[in-house]
Amino acid sequence: MAGNEEGALWSIFGYLLSGLIIWGGIGWALDKWLNTGFFLLGGLVLGAGASLYLVWLRFGRE
Amino acid sequence: MRFAFGSGEGFVPPSTADFNLPPVFGDNAYTTKPIFLVVLSVLLISSFFIVASRKALVVPTKLQFAGESIYGFVRNSIGEEIIGHEFMRFVPFLFTLFTFILTNNVFGIIPLLQFPAMSHVSFPYVLALFSFVIFHWVGIKKQGLGKYLKGIAFMPGVPKAVYILLTPIEVATFFLVRPLTLSLRLFANMFAGHLLLLVFIMGGDHLIRGVIGLKIIAPFAFAFGIGMTFFEFMVQCLQAYIFTLLTALFIAGALSDEH
Repeated sequence: MAGNEEGALWSIFGYLLSGLIIWGGIGWALDKWLNTGFFLLGGLVLGAGASLYLVWLRFGRE
Repeated sequence: MRFAFGSGEGFVPPSTADFNLPPVFGDNAYTTKPIFLVVLSVLLISSFFIVASRKALVVPTKLQFAGESIYGFVRNSIGEEIIGHEFMRFVPFLFTLFTFILTNNVFGIIPLLQFPAMSHVSFPYVLALFSFVIFHWVGIKKQGLGKYLKGIAFMPGVPKAVYILLTPIEVATFFLVRPLTLSLRLFANMFAGHLLLLVFIMGGDHLIRGVIGLKIIAPFAFAFGIGMTFFEFMVQCLQAYIFTLLTALFIAGALSDEH
C-alpha cells in the first residue's frame, strides 16, 4: 500500500499547512485590529499544535 | 564589454515573461501555444487509445500492450488499491486525468513542442476544480449533505471544547488547502522545471557566443541542460501520478464513513 502511505504524507502536510494558515491568519487579523504584535506568533503556535493533534487523532490512534 | 560578448549585450536571464507566449494568429488571445498543445494532447491521447484498443486481441500487439499497460496501471495501482470495491466508476475520470496531465507535462521536453501547458496556473486550477467538485459530490451523494459535512467538521472522540480549535482547520483543509495544494503543486513543478531548463540552455547559448574562455564552459552548461531534461522527465511523470493519486485518495476519503 505504497500509495496510501504517500497519501497520508500529503494529508498530513495539508493539515499542518491549514492549521498554520487558519490560526496564524486569525492571530494576524487580531494584531491588525488591536494594534498588538504577539497574536500572530501565538496563533501560529496554536495552529501548529492543533494540526499536530489532528494528525495524531487521524493517523496515530489505531 | 562590447568586445567580450559577441552579441554586445549582457545575459538576460529567463523570467516569467518567457511563459507569456504571443498569440499565433494576429492578437487573438485564444490562439497561444499552450492552447494548441492542449488540443494536440487531446487528439494524440484519443487517437492513440482508439488505435490501441480497436482490435483487441488475446495475444496483444505492441501498441495494444502499451495502451493496456497504462490503463492497467491507473486502474489497479491508483483506482483499485486506493478507492477499493467501488473503484470502477472512477477509473474513466482518473485515467483521463492521468493521461492528460502526463502528455501535457511531457510536452515540456519534446523537441519543438517544449512547453508544459501546466506551467500556466489556470490549467491546473481547472483540473483541481474537477477533482474538488467530484470528490465532494461523491461524498454528499453517498452520505447525504448533513452527515458528510458533519464528518468533515467534527472528528469523533474529541472533547467538545476542542472543536473550536480543530473544526476551522478541518474545514479549511477540505475546502481550501486541498484544491489549492493540488493545483499549485503541479503548476509550481512544471513552472520551475521549465525555467530551470531555460536557464541552462539559454545560458549555454549565451556562453558559446562569448570569448574563448566562456566557449569552453558552454558544453558543461549544455550537458547540465540535457541531464536536467532527463530529471524533468521523471518529475513530469511523478507529478501526473501524484495528482491522480491524490484525487483518488480524496474520493476514497469522501466514500468512507469516517474520515
